[in-house]
Amino acid sequence: MGKHLELLQGTLDMLILKAISLGPLHGYGILLRIQQISRDRLEIQQGSLYPALYRLEHQGWITSDWGESENKRKAKFYRLTATGKRQLQKEAENWDRMADVIAGILRTQPEEL
Amino acid sequence: MKLFSWLRSVTRRGKVESDMDAELLFHIESYASDLVKAGMSEEEAKRRAWVEFGNVEVKKDECRASLGLRLWDEFCGDFVYGTRMLRRSPGFAAVAIISLALGIGANTAIFSLANEVLYKTMGVAGSDRLRILNWVQHPKSTVGHAWGSFNKTKSGEMSGSPFPYPLYLDWRKRTKVMEDLVAFKDVYQLTVSATSGAESVDGQLVSGNFYQVLGAKLIAGRPIVESDLAASAPPVAVISDAYWLSRFGRSVEVLGKTIKVNATVVTIIGVNSPAFLGAKAGDTPEIFLPITLQPRLLPRPTGSLMTDKNFWWVILLGRFKPDISPESLRSAAETEFYSSLRATMPEKPAGNFPGLLLVDGGRGFDLQTQMFARPLHVLLCAAALVLLVACVNLANLLLARGAARQREISVRLAMGAGRFRIFRQVLTESLSIAIMGGAAGLVLGYACRNVLPALFEESWRKSSINPQFDWKVFVYALGITLLTGLLFGLIPAARLNGGSAGSVMKETSRMSAGRGRALLGKSLVVLQIGLSVVLLIGAGLFVRTLGNLKSVPIGFNPQRLLFFEIDPPSNRYSGAQRVALFRQIEEKLMALRGVQAATFSSEPLLANSMDNGCVRPTGKPAGTGNEDYPWINRVGESFFQTLEMPIVMGRSFNWKDNQHGALVAIVNRALAAKLFPHESPIGMTVNSCEGKTLGPPIQIVGVAADARYASIDAEVPPTIFLPYLQQDDASGTFEIRTAASTQSMLKLIREVVDSVDRDLPLLDVRTQTQQIDATLTEQRMFASLTSGFGLLALLLAGIGIYGIMAYHVARRTNEIGIRMALGAQAQRVLGMILADAWLLAGLGVVAGVAAALAVTRVLAAMLYGVKPNDPLNYIGACVVFLVTALLAGAIPARRAAAIDPCEALRHE
Repeated sequence: MGKHLELLQGTLDMLILKAISLGPLHGYGILLRIQQISRDRLEIQQGSLYPALYRLEHQGWITSDWGESENKRKAKFYRLTATGKRQLQKEAENWDRMADVIAGILRTQPEEL
Repeated sequence: MKLFSWLRSVTRRGKVESDMDAELLFHIESYASDLVKAGMSEEEAKRRAWVEFGNVEVKKDECRASLGLRLWDEFCGDFVYGTRMLRRSPGFAAVAIISLALGIGANTAIFSLANEVLYKTMGVAGSDRLRILNWVQHPKSTVGHAWGSFNKTKSGEMSGSPFPYPLYLDWRKRTKVMEDLVAFKDVYQLTVSATSGAESVDGQLVSGNFYQVLGAKLIAGRPIVESDLAASAPPVAVISDAYWLSRFGRSVEVLGKTIKVNATVVTIIGVNSPAFLGAKAGDTPEIFLPITLQPRLLPRPTGSLMTDKNFWWVILLGRFKPDISPESLRSAAETEFYSSLRATMPEKPAGNFPGLLLVDGGRGFDLQTQMFARPLHVLLCAAALVLLVACVNLANLLLARGAARQREISVRLAMGAGRFRIFRQVLTESLSIAIMGGAAGLVLGYACRNVLPALFEESWRKSSINPQFDWKVFVYALGITLLTGLLFGLIPAARLNGGSAGSVMKETSRMSAGRGRALLGKSLVVLQIGLSVVLLIGAGLFVRTLGNLKSVPIGFNPQRLLFFEIDPPSNRYSGAQRVALFRQIEEKLMALRGVQAATFSSEPLLANSMDNGCVRPTGKPAGTGNEDYPWINRVGESFFQTLEMPIVMGRSFNWKDNQHGALVAIVNRALAAKLFPHESPIGMTVNSCEGKTLGPPIQIVGVAADARYASIDAEVPPTIFLPYLQQDDASGTFEIRTAASTQSMLKLIREVVDSVDRDLPLLDVRTQTQQIDATLTEQRMFASLTSGFGLLALLLAGIGIYGIMAYHVARRTNEIGIRMALGAQAQRVLGMILADAWLLAGLGVVAGVAAALAVTRVLAAMLYGVKPNDPLNYIGACVVFLVTALLAGAIPARRAAAIDPCEALRHE
């Protein structure tokens, strides 16, 4: 295992939305997909995924159905709703702006002041 | 969205839980099998999967919190905990739930009655734009002959609801401010012969647009329409759903059936929906007829009212156009009214026109509110007061119990429970008590829903008030339940939460602690006693009023006196024929076996019934001072003998005082003293000054003792009695003195009346005592309900005093032990505790008396023979409470006196 980054507070929801936006997934699949696209650089505590999923569903951003998993077992699949799609877009924009600002601040040299 | 998701989670809780379990298990097993694929041993993979997932139960809790279920779960937990605590102290639970159930039950039952008689609308659409039209008489304005009801307005002017029919027709054509104008008339005791035998029913005469304008629904047939009012149209009728059921058993063949109404053949064309009970609040008319049938059904000697421009009788109900301000509505309607007055009564000077008043018509024509508003509001207040006493009592008991739980709560605080969390928990416990009490109260109120109307209604008539338990009653019960729960729960909750964890943990029973709490508890008891004293004093006033009324000497013997009426329709009997008919029945009644005496009178006594007229001693000139307006009763020859009303001077009537004999009269003492203050009235003559010309002289042959007349609480009015056989017309009541039962007598009377005319129903068969009771309904209801409430409050106050004293003694066990160890006598300790109880009761009584002095003044008009500030009443209530305090304090005081000092000092 390489070096893992701790997940920044509040970013898990965004990552889940992004992961699901690529196609319906069950909980374990979401975890795998985030690890896959982050190339295993993010550490997500497995159990904490579910309270986040329930919260997102309660908000109406994702919705779930029971279906069959790849190994022929019953699993609960999550899909993005229309409001969830908008929410993801909004959060992504916010994130970009925030990252720009923070990066700008961190790049500041003494002579620029 | 969130609410929907929350509701789904709460209602389908089992599925949420099993889904959650399945989902988490799937995750862990999938991870484990991936680990196995990566080459791990099965056992190790399982272990790793579980470990890396984290604590499953904690995660599940977090999931539930995500769904917003946490608050709900905690509430359920608190509720269960609360009920468990209650089960552990069944005595407290019983007192709490029963006192709340009685309080909430009483409030619910009275509200359901108020809901029925004060707030229920006619059950038609858009009733907010309906107005009943009333005229208001100014000092100079006049209204002609009238048939209807009249009122005093707030400013003391006379107002009334009847209008002439021709004026209605003109107004209806003229109106611009109303969408339409409806006329109707409430008529009673129509003689209807339907399937078998004659019976008496109430009805309403309605204009042709009545059904269309009100939008009243029918469940069968068609409504009365304009064309049914045409002179050539065959007579038709719509019947009520209740009459359809009682008379025709809901038979579908009722449409097209003919019935005889006051001897006129009428065809039934429709049946009202059960929701529509006509246009007069509180009435349940059974038959609706076109108004133009008046001359045939209820003829009057002066001719048809359809064309009589000066006779005021129909009630007008207008549907007004929307979006007009109330005042411009009124003045516009008044202008139209004056135009119609000018058009139909050109001879009337414009200066004499009465004003116009618009009254809310959503309930139809409403005399009921005026009658019931005051008694019901007084009862609602009394019931609310009882509930408040129950609340204070519970708050106090909870406070005392809370003392025992202080340590438990301190432990929980010390272990990190949030203050708000504990506050919520204690409040939930109170609410769970309230909800149990409320549920029991609702059941109690439902069971009592028919008891209250029975107190209101005349015992010989069929019940017309049937309170419905609709959503309003449920909302009311729920509202007061939650309110009481908050009220008695907040103080203990705030109190329990008040102390810091440390200080309470350190506090032990060795300290005579909790001074603040004890003070709060004592003030609650004082408040409770004060409220109860107010209730008890009020109840005392009503009980004494009823007692005073029942013991008033009425001047005749009301026992074993049976009344009944018959009302021969005027289209079959002329005035003289009616007199002869009554005489025939009277004679047959006198001859009946088991009848000691029988008579007839135009007014039954003590039945709120009266008629008066002008008389003047012969020879005196016209003018005020010489004329008098005594009450007139036209009676049979054995009236005084039957009622056992003594003749104090002269003679009674006899068989010679008939249409062939000389005109005679008997006056009561009050009238004799008024007309002839200085001389004997026997042999004097009076004339009727009713008409334009003076009537023939009538000789006074006797003086009767004074007797109560229309109502028991009114002074004896000056009265003149005339033989009904010497009158042109008659109507009234038969009175029979008999030792036989009403039931056995009824059969004989029925036979007598049938032998004369088979189509005359017997009306209002009742005894004189029933009749008197009916005039005392309001007083009896007040006396019984308020004394019930008062006793309940007294009982609760006793429990309250006992509770606080017992708690107090328990807290002071140590201190008392020390006192006794230092030489205090048991007697002294007993006295000390009793003095405490008395001090509480004394303070409460003083507060209650002060409050009662202020409050009972409102009741002055409802009392008889007792003043609101009657000292006896107050002293009585004080004594009762001091004795109660003594009894309630005695048990804890004796316990205190029995304390063994050694035990007490070891007491922890």
